[in-house]
Amino acid sequence: MRAFTASVQEVFREAAARWTLIAYFALSTIFILLFAAAVNLDIVDGALAGMKLFGQSVDVGDNHIEIDKLVLGFESTFSGVLYFVGLFLALFATAHLVPRLQEKGTIDLYLSRPIGRVSLLLSRFTGGVLLAAADIVYLIGSIGAIVAWKTHVFHPRFFLSGAVILFTIATLMAFAFLVGVVTSSTAVSLMATYAVFFLAAILALHDRIAAAVSTEFAAKTVQALYWIFPKTAELGQATVALVAGAAAPERLANLDHFAVYGSTALFGVAALSLASWLFSRKDF
Amino acid sequence: MGEAPVRAEGLSKLYRSRFGSRTVRALDGASFRVETGQVFGLLGPNGAGKTTAVKILLGLTRPTAGSGFLCGRPVSEPESRRRVGYLPEGHRFPGYLTARQTLSIFGRMSGLDRASVSRRAPELLERVRLSEWADVRVKKFSKGMTQRLGLAAALVHDPDVLLLDEPTDGVDPVGRREIRDLLQEEAKRGKAILLNSHLLSEIERMCDRVAVLRSGKVVAEGRIEDLTATGSHYRLVADGVDEKLLAAFRETGASVERVNGHFDLTARDLGHLNALVDRLRASGAMLQELSPVRSSLEDVFVGLVREGEPKKETPS
Repeated sequence: MRAFTASVQEVFREAAARWTLIAYFALSTIFILLFAAAVNLDIVDGALAGMKLFGQSVDVGDNHIEIDKLVLGFESTFSGVLYFVGLFLALFATAHLVPRLQEKGTIDLYLSRPIGRVSLLLSRFTGGVLLAAADIVYLIGSIGAIVAWKTHVFHPRFFLSGAVILFTIATLMAFAFLVGVVTSSTAVSLMATYAVFFLAAILALHDRIAAAVSTEFAAKTVQALYWIFPKTAELGQATVALVAGAAAPERLANLDHFAVYGSTALFGVAALSLASWLFSRKDF
Repeated sequence: MGEAPVRAEGLSKLYRSRFGSRTVRALDGASFRVETGQVFGLLGPNGAGKTTAVKILLGLTRPTAGSGFLCGRPVSEPESRRRVGYLPEGHRFPGYLTARQTLSIFGRMSGLDRASVSRRAPELLERVRLSEWADVRVKKFSKGMTQRLGLAAALVHDPDVLLLDEPTDGVDPVGRREIRDLLQEEAKRGKAILLNSHLLSEIERMCDRVAVLRSGKVVAEGRIEDLTATGSHYRLVADGVDEKLLAAFRETGASVERVNGHFDLTARDLGHLNALVDRLRASGAMLQELSPVRSSLEDVFVGLVREGEPKKETPS
């Protein structure tokens, strides 16, 4: 266990030394401070009576805007944006974890210690996920707290959106680890994982694509790929739907959650298991 | 004698190219063992299989056949490395860590708790003369300093077995001497040390036993004195030896030549040698020195390596 925790700690140390961690927290902090300072709301009887942005009054007209709905709209939009931005940044910050570990002259130092290969790989994975979690918790936690302070509206569901984002990051990170074990290349890991993200998003339209292709084999291949790949588009929608709750549009509220989460989790577990198996059999 | 802490039994390794079209036999049934308190040298030309043997012992590479044991456990078990320190050739510590952090991370990865690492790190940094650099990032270290830090990292958990690949690589002569002294101290404390080095002079100075690998096979193994002994060839220094005595020696079948103030003497066996000494003393000559003539380890090594080279065809 000591070896495992030492390895996890090293992931954080490395992130700090390479400025990844510091840059992310610095950018997040700037955004949080700007948000805290820039937005000032005047709320009367639970409705928005006036708003100031960077000290300038914003005309809200005569419309009766319920502050609860306004906050919900902001939080669901913010979580949707964070889903994409956070995911891309987290993968960018962690894709090197396996390729760098496997470098000649480095891997010997780790594997000559009394730690199993699977444990070593999982410790890097755990470190990467915890790093991403720290980033997301900081940003969502701070923004949620500022919103609650300014509006006196508190939505616990907003914080849960972080869990969906982290789940997607962990799944794609498992795939990045698999590519890293096979190729020992950070660039290839990153490109392959982003490719999976976009391909999976396109496959969200699997029914339409299958109907458009000319052969039955091609249609079945599209459907099979849809079920194999993580549901990146649906998870983005699920993040927004989770925050919006009852206010979510019907098409988002009716997502088949079991299919979306279940098949994505299976993809992640399969990728990480395969990466562990290959890593444990590799000659260095 | 208890079980040897390092045992290699019939290790073979066949590397295949990516699509299996080409194979390279890196090791071919190599066996050797390192006993407690022994410094054992693994010698061989490039590609002889030395590094592969060490990598198999550390579980970095799996053998095609044979087995290895560390501290009585099969090398396939991570636990076999609990009491082992390893210094790989061309190691690269993460450059963002300081020397102290490096020892902390790798000490804990070897199972030490934080308190033990905090106690042990300064001692070791002092021992390898890096105390003043304890809080400097490793990326600023010279090659020799990195090598000394590598040795400290290999020793951080006070292991029973040390596997060292070119430990003095890039180290200046003074540092090399210090590393030699440190390793000999560790051997005296009962550690089993396996040394893999190209520097035959280092091996000759440090090792009790050596094994010479050629094309993946152990072609010679033994104590350095035994490997370098040339049999019944001696150096004799004596006063009052005349030609009559030399002729008498030759009559017994001994070969004797005067060379630069001493004699090169070849006797059949120890009994013959003693008879020659008796004759020398009886003649009134004064014996000053009689010592076996040895080859250098380099001579032995080059001879063994050349034996395995394909013979060149000569035109008839």
